[in-house]
Amino acid sequence: MKISIDLTVNGERHQVDTTPWITLLELLRETLHLTGTKEGCGLGECGSCIVLVDGRPVNSCLMLAVDARGRQITTIEGLVSNGDLHPLQQSFIEKGAVQCGFCTPAMILSAKALLDENPDAGEEEIKQTLSGIICRCGNYKKIIEAVRTASDGKADS
Amino acid sequence: MKTNYVGKSVPRVDALEKVTGQAIYCVDVELPGMLYGAVLRSPLAHARIIEIDKSAATRVPGVKAVVTGNDFPYTFGHMVKDQPFLAMDKVRYVNEPLAAVAADTEAAAQEAVEKIQVKYEELPAVFDPRKAAATGAPIIHENLERYDHSSMYKIVPGTNVCTHMTYSRGDVDKGLSEADEIFQNEFYIHPVAHTPMETHAAVVQHDPSGRVFTVWSSTDAPYQRAKDLANALGLSFNQVHFLSTYSGGGFGGKGAIVAEGIGVALARFTKGRPVKVVFSRQEELTASQVRLEAFLKLKTGVKKDGTLTARVAEITWDNGAYSSKGPEVARRGAMTIFGPYRTPHIRFVSQLVYTNKQPSGAYRGFGTNQVTWACEAQMDIIANKLGINPVEIRLKNFYQDGDRYINGQVMQAAGLRETLEKASQEIGWGEQYSRSTGALVRGKGIATTIKGTATPTDSYCFIKVNFDGSITVLTSSVEIGAGQKTVLAQIAADSIGVPLDSILIPNPDTHVTPFDFGVTSSRTTYHMGNAIRMAGQKVRKEILEIAADVLGANPQRLLLCEGKIMDKDSEHEVSLKEIMTKKYGGKGGTILGDGHYTPARSSIINAEHKIQWMGSIFWMWATHAAEVEVDTETGVVKVLRIAAAHDVGRAINPMACEQQIEGSVIMGISNTLFEEFKMDRGRIMNDTFADYKVASMLDLPVIVPIIVESHHSEGPFGAKGIGEPALSPTAPAIANAIFDALGIRFNELPITREKVLSALRERDPVQ
Ligand code: FES
Ligand code: FES
Repeated sequence: MKISIDLTVNGERHQVDTTPWITLLELLRETLHLTGTKEGCGLGECGSCIVLVDGRPVNSCLMLAVDARGRQITTIEGLVSNGDLHPLQQSFIEKGAVQCGFCTPAMILSAKALLDENPDAGEEEIKQTLSGIICRCGNYKKIIEAVRTASDGKADS
Repeated sequence: MKTNYVGKSVPRVDALEKVTGQAIYCVDVELPGMLYGAVLRSPLAHARIIEIDKSAATRVPGVKAVVTGNDFPYTFGHMVKDQPFLAMDKVRYVNEPLAAVAADTEAAAQEAVEKIQVKYEELPAVFDPRKAAATGAPIIHENLERYDHSSMYKIVPGTNVCTHMTYSRGDVDKGLSEADEIFQNEFYIHPVAHTPMETHAAVVQHDPSGRVFTVWSSTDAPYQRAKDLANALGLSFNQVHFLSTYSGGGFGGKGAIVAEGIGVALARFTKGRPVKVVFSRQEELTASQVRLEAFLKLKTGVKKDGTLTARVAEITWDNGAYSSKGPEVARRGAMTIFGPYRTPHIRFVSQLVYTNKQPSGAYRGFGTNQVTWACEAQMDIIANKLGINPVEIRLKNFYQDGDRYINGQVMQAAGLRETLEKASQEIGWGEQYSRSTGALVRGKGIATTIKGTATPTDSYCFIKVNFDGSITVLTSSVEIGAGQKTVLAQIAADSIGVPLDSILIPNPDTHVTPFDFGVTSSRTTYHMGNAIRMAGQKVRKEILEIAADVLGANPQRLLLCEGKIMDKDSEHEVSLKEIMTKKYGGKGGTILGDGHYTPARSSIINAEHKIQWMGSIFWMWATHAAEVEVDTETGVVKVLRIAAAHDVGRAINPMACEQQIEGSVIMGISNTLFEEFKMDRGRIMNDTFADYKVASMLDLPVIVPIIVESHHSEGPFGAKGIGEPALSPTAPAIANAIFDALGIRFNELPITREKVLSALRERDPVQ
């Protein structure tokens, strides 16, 4: 059984014919070949697969692709605009927030959602927001520094 | 020597690809006609396979191959050739692969796997290595003595003992008789999972002419894996072609044939179509490999003033069902159980034992976590009993320059003291502070570690200066995630005299990039760094000769710096690009330099006859000092602060060193306080991240990384290594801090909330 799904990914509209039970993660990685979104568990427990759906972070392994119908999806591939890196991408590079890089797309997208809503987010909010994403390289300290660098205010500094 | 890049925290060269989602990991590889693999795994820990019926599976639409151990009857093994690609005759652990399916879709492969019927005859199983070593234990490998294995490892025929080793130096009886006090303690360290965020994966293609297997993999040592696979299949090395991808974390776990083996078995039967095998998180946690569990006994003689007189160690390591790198972990681990301490009389007995559990293997530290846990906890026990400051007792016994290691090697120990001094100072050792508020009690602890590197091992590279002045460095050192590419590019840039961004280091390809022993043993910066330094100097020399020729100048008077050639006399400057264009015109050309580094002939490793292999071309020293807060009502241990001082020789990239230190501290906290497998008759019950807890951002303490630079005389720019020793002192530093807080000593890891609570209840029974 095939169904048709209409969705916008990184500003581009897609119409995809697919099975009703595929997840948004599978659709992005396998159908649209956007492999920047990673799978670390497939069970909603590691955060590696986070993408933004209408600006909110969502574990894409838990969301059915059909539920993304008509919504705006942002993946890591969509963050560069007019050839410029997003400030978070820039600060992740400069502050050494990347080791193996497998958690990086999810960390950056979650941080973006946070800063879009609260540009002066401080350390505690950053920690609370990003704590659902596991970084086995244990690079948490530098990730927090990178997000703080990109946030306007230094709420709790 | 003045450097433009070495010593600086330049941003990582792989960061741009990673923050934009462009970096290709093994799980991202997609090829035309690619099939998907799925694996049938054993539900039993130990059983004879009576029959496998795959007929229903082969009829599932989309299925292209169903393969069992009978179809692909080969075994592999890096140290002991004991592991079948797919179980043959017997299964030896729960979730051992038994059969595999390749199909057009993952769903079809999975469906077919469920249709494979297996009949077993269950056998008695054994899970505790001490029991498995005892007479009468069920035998896991009946043909143990017939397996190919290196003569370095002594197998005990007719038992489950995979390797047995003893070593002594001096006269321990004499040493013990000279002691004022003898301490005997037992310690236990649990298995933990590597849990790289990218699970094990492989894509394998067998070319239709049947000559070459091509393997896409994020393994840490493509040459070793290709060599082991070729050896298993009776192929020559060039018939197993490894293409490395980026790696979503290794930590030692990617140092074995795991998904690659299943991919190879399947690809053999798919008529040229590539097959992708990606482990689920459950497979990763239950059927990849884990850190060796170990039971350790230490008997130590000490003078009243804290001087060590003798130490005797007995270690039983759990190998799991198959060997991976267990034999070498056990061997190298056992050798360093005496810690960074001068001990005149020592002896150890180490045995590595098979059990019916998933294989154990390399884990960041390679045996050092296990032995440091015992050694450093006992140093604290001794200090306490004798009323000596734990810092003082360590300083008193530390190796000093010129002391001899247990094989007679002369030690270079310059940075050791400094790590202890700086870490203890940073944590405020000996200072007064408020130790308790209500139910919260604080304490501080320290631990030091010694870690060598596998010696001697070799690294080769080629540096290619292209006709436009851009540089390609060909190396088989993979980017496992720790910054290998960046550090090697910095070394290349400064060795040649070119800008960092003119250098590109592609991922390894065993048909092209030359031999490297692997990204293991904290060896890459030192070994590959040295090879690149040599090759860099060669091409630099050649560039200057060509420039002299083109410019009609004296090569002795030319300098190459940041890609510009300068004439010292005229101060005339020309770019490398111009020189290359002038020399090679429109037709093109390449300057090629090779580098080969081996420490085999270095006098640093001189030692007693035949035991030189016990030594190391460099020694890494580290001290961690921890401050913890224990909630005596809930048992929760919160690590507040860790000062982690590491002698790295020279920090090629201080930020990359900090990443290793900070990341290891998090991993160490996670291993020590949270991670624990729950087993039921060999089955791991907590096989998801929901149940197998690893540290999150909320567990982050204040981490103060301290870099000590002792400048190794033969290291590239003085560098040594950092990746592994950063983990091993964390656990004992935390345990020693908990003792300081509560007066309760935990000799068994992990130190979970429940354990702390029950120890507190035992100490202060509720009235
Ligand atoms: S892959 Fe979605 S949360 Fe782990
Ligand atoms: S950088 Fe490796 S998992 Fe976060």
